[in-house]
Amino acid sequence: MPPRIRCTASARGLTAAVKPSRPSAALLRPSAPAVTSAARQYATVSSRGLRLPDDYVPPTKPPTARPSETRKAQLLRTYTSLLRSTPLVLLFQHNNLTAEEWVAVRRELKAAITAVPTTGDESAALASKAQLHVLRTSIFNVALKLVEFYDPSKVEPTSAPTVTGKRVKVVYNHDLSRAAWKAVREVTMGETPIPETSTYAQLSPLLVGPVAAFTLPAVSPQHLAAALSVLSPSPPGFPAPTRKKNPGYYEPITQSGLQKLLLIGARIEDKAFDMDGVKWVGGIENGLEGLRAQLVHMLQSAGMGLTSTLEGAGKALWLTMESRRSVLEEEQNGGKTEEKKADA
Amino acid sequence: MITRFITEIQTAFNPFSPRAKSARLFLSFLPPNARSSGMNITTQLFPRSSTAPSKLYVKFKDGKELNLDADNMAIKNIVEEVDRHSRILQKADDLAAA
Repeated sequence: MPPRIRCTASARGLTAAVKPSRPSAALLRPSAPAVTSAARQYATVSSRGLRLPDDYVPPTKPPTARPSETRKAQLLRTYTSLLRSTPLVLLFQHNNLTAEEWVAVRRELKAAITAVPTTGDESAALASKAQLHVLRTSIFNVALKLVEFYDPSKVEPTSAPTVTGKRVKVVYNHDLSRAAWKAVREVTMGETPIPETSTYAQLSPLLVGPVAAFTLPAVSPQHLAAALSVLSPSPPGFPAPTRKKNPGYYEPITQSGLQKLLLIGARIEDKAFDMDGVKWVGGIENGLEGLRAQLVHMLQSAGMGLTSTLEGAGKALWLTMESRRSVLEEEQNGGKTEEKKADA
Repeated sequence: MITRFITEIQTAFNPFSPRAKSARLFLSFLPPNARSSGMNITTQLFPRSSTAPSKLYVKFKDGKELNLDADNMAIKNIVEEVDRHSRILQKADDLAAA
């Protein structure tokens, strides 16, 4: 047996055993307290004059060999920040694409998106930030719940001890915090079912099996249309790129990759959209600028209509009066000429 | 799942319905070279408001056709049904090869 040395992990375990939050059945037995006190003494005696380095790692808990980006905690943070910052997420089902096919699909997607006529620096940056990732479905599911049901700004501060023993107020409101877990559990595991109107309830059936996401950092219908014409072309609105302009699109590897990608839904501006909804968003002509122009035109024409209607009554009155006056004038003139004739 | 003897697959489902799960998982079970090795796969997606039942049609090399009730069957049962016929074909294939 290796020598028992006090370390953070074992100390944590001991305090948990000595001071349980509620008395367990094992501790109520007469032999249990003796065992714990002996263990504590043993630990203090062996650790006298011995201090472990701060970066000590207990042999039973070696550090994980996984790269940090694929750890679950890190993935969850990545997904929540992605969902909070990205208004446009298209969800695809990918059925066993090979690495080659992914490369080909991403290449064609990038080519189509960078070819979108840009209006400024912003849209150029947008094209460079559009990405197609493969998601870890269950963790993305948790991230969706967190983003919708947990508001970090509403977490109350708690007091925590510092090194010197002073207690200070701190707010633990990160996505892995107890507050986040509780907030999500209240909604999803509570007695009432998840509200049907919530985006999570609408999107959660999509998160089954292999799911990939295409993300754009802003809602730009032109870029969306370009992406749709590559990833799920539908001839009238979003035709596939032509063979002459884009021969790479018709390579067998690209085509077999695209056949395995299925557009199943989207989350645009925190709302769930199906395929038709996505096409509608992608079909907005000239993007947001176009929409604004349409609105301005509508408002202007409405104003013109209003003024012409208001003017109408006055104009009609003026016209009748004017015509009446001319008639009267003619009659008067006519009478005068007749009188002249009578005099002569 | 034995996919060697499948020649045609037709699926139709509404991805927003929780019942589409088994049809979607069935698609994800097909090998990467399924299409290039001669399998004919067509998928139709219903709009979100549709309540039409999901469809899963499988045709084998010997002409046998299976219309599976993807709405009410779990993916395990579907795979079991498909494999049941595939194993018969495999047995015949092995005997012919030997």
